[in-house]
Amino acid sequence: MGFLLTTLIFVAIGIIASLCTRICFDKGPSANLFHLTLVITATVCCWLMWAIVYLAQMNPLIVPILSEVE
Amino acid sequence: MMDGGTMDLMRSEPMQLARIIIPIESAHRTVSYLGDLGLFQFKDLNSGKSPFQRTFATQIKRCGEMARKLRFFKDQMMKAGLLASTRSTYGSEFSLDELEVKLGEHESELIEMNANTEKLQRAYNELLEYKLVLQKAGEFFQYAQSSATNQQRESEELRFGEGSMDSPLLLEQEMTTDLSKQVKLGFVSGLVPRDKSMAFERILFRATRGNVFLKQNVVEERIVDPVQGEKVEKNVFVVFYSGERAKNKVLKICDAFGANRYPFTDDLEKRYHMITEVSGKLSELKTTIDVGTLHWSSALQSIANQFEQWNNLVKKEKSIFHTLNTLSFDVTKKCLVGEGWCPAFATVQIQKALQRATDDSNSQIGAIFEVLHTKESPPTYFRTNKFTSAFQEIVDAYGVAKYQEANPGLYTIVTFPFLFAVMFGDWGHGICLFLATLFLILREKKYSSQKLGDIMEMAFGGRYVIIMMSIFSIYTGLIYNEFFSVPFELFGRSAYDCRDSSCKDATTIGMIKVRDTYPFGVDPMWHGTRSELPFLNSLKMKMSILLGVAQMNLGIILSYFNAKFFRNDINIWYQFIPQMIFLNSLFGYLSLLIIVKWCTGSKADLYHIMIYMFLSPTDDLGENQLFWGQKYLQILLLLLALVAVPWMLIPKPLLLKKQHEERHQGQTYAPLHSLDENLESDLDDESHGGHEEFEFSEVLVHQLIHTIEFVLGSVSNTASYLRLWALSLAHSELSSVFYEKVLLLAWGFNNVVILIIGIIVFIFATVGVLLVMETLSAFLHALRLHWVEFQNKFYEGDGYKFHPFSFELVISEEDD
Repeated sequence: MGFLLTTLIFVAIGIIASLCTRICFDKGPSANLFHLTLVITATVCCWLMWAIVYLAQMNPLIVPILSEVE
Repeated sequence: MMDGGTMDLMRSEPMQLARIIIPIESAHRTVSYLGDLGLFQFKDLNSGKSPFQRTFATQIKRCGEMARKLRFFKDQMMKAGLLASTRSTYGSEFSLDELEVKLGEHESELIEMNANTEKLQRAYNELLEYKLVLQKAGEFFQYAQSSATNQQRESEELRFGEGSMDSPLLLEQEMTTDLSKQVKLGFVSGLVPRDKSMAFERILFRATRGNVFLKQNVVEERIVDPVQGEKVEKNVFVVFYSGERAKNKVLKICDAFGANRYPFTDDLEKRYHMITEVSGKLSELKTTIDVGTLHWSSALQSIANQFEQWNNLVKKEKSIFHTLNTLSFDVTKKCLVGEGWCPAFATVQIQKALQRATDDSNSQIGAIFEVLHTKESPPTYFRTNKFTSAFQEIVDAYGVAKYQEANPGLYTIVTFPFLFAVMFGDWGHGICLFLATLFLILREKKYSSQKLGDIMEMAFGGRYVIIMMSIFSIYTGLIYNEFFSVPFELFGRSAYDCRDSSCKDATTIGMIKVRDTYPFGVDPMWHGTRSELPFLNSLKMKMSILLGVAQMNLGIILSYFNAKFFRNDINIWYQFIPQMIFLNSLFGYLSLLIIVKWCTGSKADLYHIMIYMFLSPTDDLGENQLFWGQKYLQILLLLLALVAVPWMLIPKPLLLKKQHEERHQGQTYAPLHSLDENLESDLDDESHGGHEEFEFSEVLVHQLIHTIEFVLGSVSNTASYLRLWALSLAHSELSSVFYEKVLLLAWGFNNVVILIIGIIVFIFATVGVLLVMETLSAFLHALRLHWVEFQNKFYEGDGYKFHPFSFELVISEEDD
């Protein structure tokens, strides 16, 4: 699906999640900032993990070699 | 951070030192209301005094007495098998005096009942033994009598008139024939413990030189010994002796062996009469004892209903008096003065509580609440809810944050479960963990009021941490594509296929990438291939480095925010910036190389590049060239890193020295030492900063250590993140071994019994090794990564925790 497209999907999910937490758990500006921080950190971590695994497979130097028994 | 935008959890709540002045008549009530509020930490103003010199020592002793009585009640309740009901506020409020009287009454009643029961029980046991003696001794007297009459008849028939009386039944004969002989025989009967019976016999024999006759009979069942109250095995014995001296000796020996003696008549009728009498008395006693026990347990039941309430009241009062002890009397002796820490937001609540207390106690003077200014370091207070408190405890276990420094707990809420998940990565196991903790969370209310075992307590306390861990594990499991080590093609088709339709090269040269990269996670084709490990190892190692560099950069950026908050410009320019430059020019550059190599698919050797960047930076890169201008970039980065080291080391101590000299400019002509001592002896209200000691050599050495630690630490910490790779490899290998060598093997036999055994072994192995051991292991390593590699970039952690005087804490604390 392409690297950029999926990255944009992650960004969109992040924005939707922050909006949802703002709507569902609105408890004042300090708590809102806290929830926002958590959501953004989680989104960044998840995206990072996905991106690393995706980039590593884009131009592979090793290919799968099936084992004999198969 | 800006005022409107500060988060609760980022820095400690602003705390203030406050002084309260309360009139004496409302003191007790004030402290009680403050305890209900639970937001004020009292400082001990009487720390010099010993516990016995304090004002309210007698009150505390009273409370201690009452607590002792309550403990006695608890013991008695446990003996009766009752539990204290957990109904909290039941009935009216008692005052301490009323409660004291009540407890005293109950205690004396219980003690009396216990003593009576003991007496009755003892009498009962004695009667029981007496009955046994009557029965058993009666048996062999009768047997002896009957065989004696038989023998006499025989001997009369055989040897009439012979005087030889050397039958062992001599004594019985004499007794049956003529009691009024010259030799007065007496006998003693009773019970002796079986383990002492042999020694008893021997000593009797020796002491009386063989002139006694002892007959013992075993009692089959165990009897309760009246003196000791335990069940002991006993023998019934009868000792026959002649003469006064022998009688005294026998009696003394019986006493020494603890053998209980009971009167015995050889008259058959009298014996029967005694037995019936004793049986009657026994049944009477039994009913009396039963009634007594019933009365005792009903008294205890009424105590048990109110036990919790009394217990809490006593604990509360004791804590109130301890707190009152920390206050000091003021000059007029009409008021008590207290000092303590409270959060700034609680000021209004505290003032309201003080007002209410003075109103309720009808005092004419109101309480005074004033804020003091001090240079002392306040305690750290974070307002946490049940979700964030577990994470905050994890951080606090390493060290409580210094007052108002950045709290790593904020990021730990996300990064800790995330790093755990990188090491745990299997969505099947993740789902199991999720379901287990979901169960705990749904039963929250029930479990939080129960008393749980140690391990269960820890698991329950950390339920929100574990559920976050499990959610992230499901995510990383989907990325690593492992469901109990089995991959699935969930997100589209695999990218790899055979080179030609016959697939004959698949096992020698391998497949090729024919379609687009697998869109989410690791391609399912990799599992089970020969080149799986080299690929995954390379992937996971590089991932660990990238994640590690990211987290360490976050740590250094937090140190920037700390420096900005405390307005410490020196730290920004001469610590933050050179640290960023050093870390990123070396390991940031490595991360960049990794990403570029992945994007371009070049065959460059990154080890080679990094090592020769240091050894011979001016050499040509040749086939290791990843992008244009790489050589010059490398030389530049190397120089930057080399410059950063003295930048971290030298300017800061020099500037600190200059700062110190500027601050104490006017005091260089300080007066003589005696005046300084007077200044220093002021109370903490004045809180003069005092003369700060500044030793230049000390500061320089400190900075040197800090620099070396950072420089060497940047290499070792980055390598330390490779544990993310190591543990994730271990987890996936273990899980694939259990799957292939247990489940698939059992399946291969085509036998239902072996399959069932295989499934059971698989389940036990998965739960025991993977779900418990691996969870703990990954938890521990993720914790270490946070505590050491992340926090040593910015965290000082030498504060102390805010521990307010709160009844909730008091009641939940000492539950034994």
